[in-house]
Amino acid sequence: MVKPMDIAEILTKDSPGKQFLLLGNEAVARGAIEAGLEFAATYPGTPSSEIGDSLFRVASKYKQPYFQYSTNEKVALEAAGAASIANTRAMAIMKHVGLNVASDAFMTLNYIGVRAGLVIVSADDPGCWSSQNEQDNRFYAMLGDTTMLEPADPQEAKDMTVAAFDLSEKLEQPVLLRITTRLSHTRAGVNLGSIRPPRGEANFEREPLRFVTVPAVARRRHPILVEKVRQAREIAEQSSWNKIIGEGSIGIITSGVSYNYVREALDFLGIKAAILKLGMTYPLPKQKIQEFISSKEKVVVVEELKPYLEDQTRAFAQEKGIIIPILGKAQGFFSEIGEYTPRRVIEGLGKALDIDIPDSFAEIDEKYSNMSVEIPSRPPILCAGCPHRATFYELAIATGRKAIYPTDIGCYTLAIQPPIELADLLLCMGSSIGTACGLTAVLDKPVVGTIGDSTFFHAGFAGLVNAVYNQHPVKIIVVDNMSTAMTGHQPHPGTGLTGMGETSTPIKIEDVARGIGVPFVEVIDPLQVKESIRILRKAMKFDGPAVVVSRSICALLEIGQKRRAGEKIIPFEVDTDICQGCEVCTDKLSCPAATWDGEHAGIDPVLCVGCGVCAQVCPYKAIKRRETK
Amino acid sequence: MKEYNLLFTGVGGTGVVTAARIVATAAIAEGLNVRVGEIHGMSQRLGAVTSTVRIGDSVHGSIIPPGKADLILTVELIEALRCADRMNTDGTFIVGMLHMAPTAVLLDRATYPSDEEVLNELKKYASVVTVDAVRLARDAGSVMSVNIVLVGSAFGLGKIPLKEKAIISALKEVLRPRYHEVNIKAFELGMKAVAGT
Repeated sequence: MVKPMDIAEILTKDSPGKQFLLLGNEAVARGAIEAGLEFAATYPGTPSSEIGDSLFRVASKYKQPYFQYSTNEKVALEAAGAASIANTRAMAIMKHVGLNVASDAFMTLNYIGVRAGLVIVSADDPGCWSSQNEQDNRFYAMLGDTTMLEPADPQEAKDMTVAAFDLSEKLEQPVLLRITTRLSHTRAGVNLGSIRPPRGEANFEREPLRFVTVPAVARRRHPILVEKVRQAREIAEQSSWNKIIGEGSIGIITSGVSYNYVREALDFLGIKAAILKLGMTYPLPKQKIQEFISSKEKVVVVEELKPYLEDQTRAFAQEKGIIIPILGKAQGFFSEIGEYTPRRVIEGLGKALDIDIPDSFAEIDEKYSNMSVEIPSRPPILCAGCPHRATFYELAIATGRKAIYPTDIGCYTLAIQPPIELADLLLCMGSSIGTACGLTAVLDKPVVGTIGDSTFFHAGFAGLVNAVYNQHPVKIIVVDNMSTAMTGHQPHPGTGLTGMGETSTPIKIEDVARGIGVPFVEVIDPLQVKESIRILRKAMKFDGPAVVVSRSICALLEIGQKRRAGEKIIPFEVDTDICQGCEVCTDKLSCPAATWDGEHAGIDPVLCVGCGVCAQVCPYKAIKRRETK
Repeated sequence: MKEYNLLFTGVGGTGVVTAARIVATAAIAEGLNVRVGEIHGMSQRLGAVTSTVRIGDSVHGSIIPPGKADLILTVELIEALRCADRMNTDGTFIVGMLHMAPTAVLLDRATYPSDEEVLNELKKYASVVTVDAVRLARDAGSVMSVNIVLVGSAFGLGKIPLKEKAIISALKEVLRPRYHEVNIKAFELGMKAVAGT
């Protein structure tokens, strides 16, 4: 029998030349292991999560490399940075907005540099698939004078990760590996390379005049950093990651996944062009770009989000007095909004180069928009049996929907969807509490912030201290489903599991709240509807900051655990003789397992996880657990 | 090999990603260039999702352009329609007849169209084969295998340019041993369901 290979086995197999179907993120993890990774830290965030998750599997199974889910990205980068200064190959992994959190460490780590290789992975999210913005983190490389590599496919993701470690060790500087959602979540065949041994003993050599950035040191380190950028640019000029593919009088400059669409678009349009594919995108190979564009009649720059390559290319051209059309976003041929697709690149190139695009797209659009059927939209929603749904149902009753509801980053942000609609304000991780402070300070209205367990540890704590000390009467509901659920159920400091797959003492959120002096702290089980409403009402009446921890395990985790234990999941059902068709279960609770036949409610036995909240919500007691034979 | 594009569409959490991975693993085993596109994160929470499998030397990215899908497999009826703009006129829809009403329908803010309406609309794009995927998956031993039933039907109709042996061994490579039997059976029942059509 063929035995399925788990990802930990694939990622640690020393069999160069062998090919496996790997996700872009898995390829990054493999690259790090090939490069001799010894230490990795992350805070999970889509689209970066599977890099950490893969290393979690490896570390849990083989006890090396060291891996941790840090409390947040800043801590992860500080930890990884210090590890590399202590002669340990390290990686810090985060999503694009995670680098905002880590940016304080990021901006100064470049000044002091590193000893063993340090790779910082930023997974950007053009199109906001799972994010609150689509910021272009290539500008962080420029802002921080940090060497940056940008792969286009899983094979490159693996190979460039190895190269990033080499570059980091050569320059003694951190290197940014910038990837995007479409690469992170593309699978392709990846040829493995050999695995290098770890670097050896960790040791911390004191060098305070380098590593302690008091102003006098920082001033001395800045010119060193500028010199490193010059050296890195020389490397970029020679780097095989910056290569020309094809030939012709038309030049195209591109990087990352856009390169794939350029290749497909040229095939589609049936034109020839020389592509300068940039893999090392900070610092850019200035001379190489100048030489490339000076031999072309015109140049088109194709890149997602901001005109990062485009503006620099234009500046390089100006510097050399090269006068050719450089076409891209400046003329409106391409947009800086959203994720690119083959179609968008075909259309952009068509416009920029004045080539007729076959009219098939227009026909398809016409047909699609004139469809005789209206397709109901299907946005993501809270799962069947999700304890968050119960908490929000109870919160709506306890507050009469009369409060302001700042929300936070996690599954519970889906409270924006009908019929819950208890989400009023969201900026970033932890913002529910900070914004609640501001709102209560200026408004005479109840303010109820909702924040998840992992998010609370990540960035909620400081906000809560602020609320207590400045006496803001915020009501904070910590929806604690005992997991970092949205990103794939990673452990956090409240779970009792570490990134090494070992146990640790869980930190209880109610203890933290009490410890910093929150005067009202209660824990509820949201699956107990009446009692939860009672406590939430009490919290609302309390004069001062209040924290209610609403704790119940994520429904997906619970079914998984039950299935593995061979336990049966017994769904609920509606007794249609008793059901009066009041639609409370379908319209107020709206669990995805609920159905409606026009007269009576029903429950989909496949989706129902048996949480029993609908049975408590039904005013006629028409919902019961199924009889088991 | 000429470019081949397969699109799985459905509802997050119903096994769309796994099915795509199985087909791609088989393609890799046959030495083909392949790209798989997946959706992770927020959309997985019962939202509309797609997974793509693209095979061929000219394939670089994982996104299927409009009008280029050779095969669209969907368990949930209306999700086929949502992706119809991707369909090639020579292509095929293989549709399981599961209806999962989105919340908007439950709240009377939208209507779930009738089977006839949806199928007629799909036929404007390409040929349509319907399969009772949920029943067949249940017969095989688990509703979770619905997408594998569709892969079986597609293979049975000659719409997946790979060898049966490669698909079966890919299935064993991707899934845990205790799910092998059920899914192989699901594949076979899917194949049988379209035999002679």
